[in-house]
Amino acid sequence: MIAKHDVLVVGAGCAGMRAAIAAFDAGADVAMISKLHPTRSHSGAAEGGINAALGNAAEDNAEIHAYDTVKGSDYLGDQDAIEAFAEEAPGDIIQLENWGAFFSRREDGKLAQRPFGAAGSPRTVYAADITGHVLIQVLWEQVCKRDIPVYEEFFAWQLVENDGRCQGVVCWDLLHGGLKTVGGKTVVLATGGAGRQYRVTTNAYACTGDGMAMALHAGLPLKDMEFMQFHPTTLYPTGILLTEGCRGEGAYLVNKDGERFMKRYAPNALELASRDVVSRSEQTEIDEGRGIDGSVLLDMRHLGAERIIERLPGSRELSMVYAGIDPIYDPVPVRPGAHYHMGGIETDNDGATEMTGLYAAGECACVSIHGANRLGGNSLMETITFGRRAGTSAAEWALSHTTVEVPESVERDAEARLRKLLDRADGERPWKLREELGTSMLENFAVFRTEAGMTKQIEILEGLRERYPNVVVEDKGEVFNSDLTQAIELGNMLDTALCMVTAGVVRKESRGAHARPHDYPTRDDEKFLHHSITRWKDGGVELSKSEVRFTRWEPQERKY
Amino acid sequence: MKVGLKIWRYDTSTGERALREYEIEAPEEATLLDCLDIVKDRHDGSLAYRKSCRMMICGSCGMRMDGAAVLACKTRMYDIAQEGRVPVISAMGNLPIVKDLVVDMDPFWAKFKAMWPWLEPGYERPEDGREYRISQERMNVVHKEALCINCGCCVSECNAMESDPDFLGPQALAKGMRFVGDPRDSATVERLERYSQEHGIWDCTRCYFCNERCPKGVDPRDAIAKLGAESIRLGIDRDMGAKHAKWFVRSAETTGWLREEELIPKTQGYVSAIKQLKFGASLARHGKVRPIPIPHTAKDVGEARNLRKVVREQDRQGALGHVQGERALARLEHGHTGGSLEEIYARPGAAPRPWLPEVEEDQQA
Repeated sequence: MIAKHDVLVVGAGCAGMRAAIAAFDAGADVAMISKLHPTRSHSGAAEGGINAALGNAAEDNAEIHAYDTVKGSDYLGDQDAIEAFAEEAPGDIIQLENWGAFFSRREDGKLAQRPFGAAGSPRTVYAADITGHVLIQVLWEQVCKRDIPVYEEFFAWQLVENDGRCQGVVCWDLLHGGLKTVGGKTVVLATGGAGRQYRVTTNAYACTGDGMAMALHAGLPLKDMEFMQFHPTTLYPTGILLTEGCRGEGAYLVNKDGERFMKRYAPNALELASRDVVSRSEQTEIDEGRGIDGSVLLDMRHLGAERIIERLPGSRELSMVYAGIDPIYDPVPVRPGAHYHMGGIETDNDGATEMTGLYAAGECACVSIHGANRLGGNSLMETITFGRRAGTSAAEWALSHTTVEVPESVERDAEARLRKLLDRADGERPWKLREELGTSMLENFAVFRTEAGMTKQIEILEGLRERYPNVVVEDKGEVFNSDLTQAIELGNMLDTALCMVTAGVVRKESRGAHARPHDYPTRDDEKFLHHSITRWKDGGVELSKSEVRFTRWEPQERKY
Repeated sequence: MKVGLKIWRYDTSTGERALREYEIEAPEEATLLDCLDIVKDRHDGSLAYRKSCRMMICGSCGMRMDGAAVLACKTRMYDIAQEGRVPVISAMGNLPIVKDLVVDMDPFWAKFKAMWPWLEPGYERPEDGREYRISQERMNVVHKEALCINCGCCVSECNAMESDPDFLGPQALAKGMRFVGDPRDSATVERLERYSQEHGIWDCTRCYFCNERCPKGVDPRDAIAKLGAESIRLGIDRDMGAKHAKWFVRSAETTGWLREEELIPKTQGYVSAIKQLKFGASLARHGKVRPIPIPHTAKDVGEARNLRKVVREQDRQGALGHVQGERALARLEHGHTGGSLEEIYARPGAAPRPWLPEVEEDQQA
């Protein structure tokens, strides 16, 4: 063990940094571990905005925000968590502004808010279309101000469970090489999502579900893993995100004939229906031959150069660099791409998991705010509100307990496993498995799912998992061995993917992002109004369920 | 398409550097980063480089292509491959190389942290406990600085840092301007005092390479200029660089031309200037300055004075004089400004004009 802290935060995106700041402010000795420098985290790529019922642009309050979120979740969100979330969001936003966040402003000098999908009021606070970048910067500034230490480019690999509680993390030091264990009275996982399981994704290369996999392998439950959000507007062919803010500012979705097809699917909300609805509509257009090369078009021309340049400069730049199209003059080809895991490590409303001393927040966690479908702008808000909650409660627990011990055997076992992977002289290169994973997940577990596809996908995943122990790491050096970390990431993605598909097959209904139009086209509240729980047992997935927590909203039919 | 790359490899265990050539097959939309991935996956797993978002926002993949800093993910390879060029890829400059294309960013972040890179609140909180009321125009002063992704491309190219490794450098100074220009920050004077010290604002050589190479349009040199202007506006002008700049203005305003013989005494002080008499004599010998300065005033000095008057009247002495604001990103090289919607819809090959279908009530489900 190289060091000990009260609170150890794994991951340094928005949730991780917010948790670290909260733990520091609660008086704990806190440190962060991150496989990237904090400002490189993928929270920074969030574009459109962050939801809080400030009511600056129109009448709004926490209750409406909560209701929109419950409805958006297809009634699978836990309503007590959602109510707390909507209630605390405005205060958290004001704090970010007071810390110096560079948000866009209204004429009257207050924070500007824009309309977003499935929101009853313009509620999304934004900074042009680089909101995530602005948040990452302000949080990093606050981390610097507090001088919170960061174990940078430390690849967290395994949780240390000792004496029935989590007491640290075994990491690979990417920059210098070597396994290093950092002890913590409490550990907060804030490692983000795993969108890299899909060939077409908005996610960064770093989004490989490491925290989910660590928790899974430590015997913890992952909740609602079958719900993977497909973002409706990812750039063709790269899958790079174009913000929902484009549609918030008034962009149209059209098919090859120029028809604004959303009128046929969501006659009231049109392009601003919920993400699952829009993605399904696009996929239907594409499947029925009204797309262009497997994509539809995002038409911003009528917004005019001025508005595009002022409100959506980043989206314009992305379109020009990666598709060679200037949206002022031409519509941009887009298609649904894997974007966000609604599911994750099961936590309570304070981020606590089943294991004493272990907390989780952000995309890797599942409180659940998002249920079966997340509303745009709610994930950034979740990272802040639940990052803060998790950091505070982790600090409280740590400050009332004293010891940290990491048994030597844990480090020795980890070292042995790692050396086995590193020393293997020949075998298959990991990229082959990674490509097969990405392609097959996109084919069999994407916007629309079928019994046959999912069953086939489980077989494919089992096959890949059988081949995985034989992959070869070509780089045998210690310094910046990303070949090694990428091989470990592949293993994490395979195991979490298996949880997703296994939970998906048994959910014989269509709810939120889990759409089965061919065999189970409707929602079945009688049989499936519950969370799916997946655990790792004997090298495989064990399924169970847990109750959804209701407070005031009964399930209703969901129309936009 | 076929892509050729020459990559400077650096082996940390032996300290050896070697230029290796790779030829790969890549899709037409491939970026430099995609090509490096192909090299790493299929040709040589030991190649080291940083990457993450692949969409120009995380700032991981700064490196040099043919000697100039780029973000690998922003660099499309199609044209280069078509020309048959084989670019040389190497690690960024001004930072120690760790392995291959990976540099040690510690010195970079140390300078970042030396700027007090956080808002110093000291100001009064709004009475209603809500956000500060600030106009967008006022925030636009630091719009470009707020775009910085800390990739290090500007630092890599900084000529001043090459001769003075302790120079704070373009990214740190741009971050400083981010707070100096923020109306919510209360530490402007303390910041400018600190940034004006040795290795600070006035040590920039104004080569403009940082502006040239910044992949996000931050224009760090402009930020440094704004810091200088703010310093002088607030009377923080003890540094020779500040005195030098002030003398230029003073000289132009009074006589309409640059009186170089007075430049050194006004900048460095008379004692120091006397020590440089020999240098002065050599300047005179080469006709750079007149041996005996005879005061005279330029014919059109009124123009220079009027210009100065306009700047004062419009209150543009400080950073506000440099504002480019919310439109900064429109600076994108492709910078078009549109035209009427009718013209855009009528362009040859334009996508069809969008239309809303009629939907029968009973079809809606």
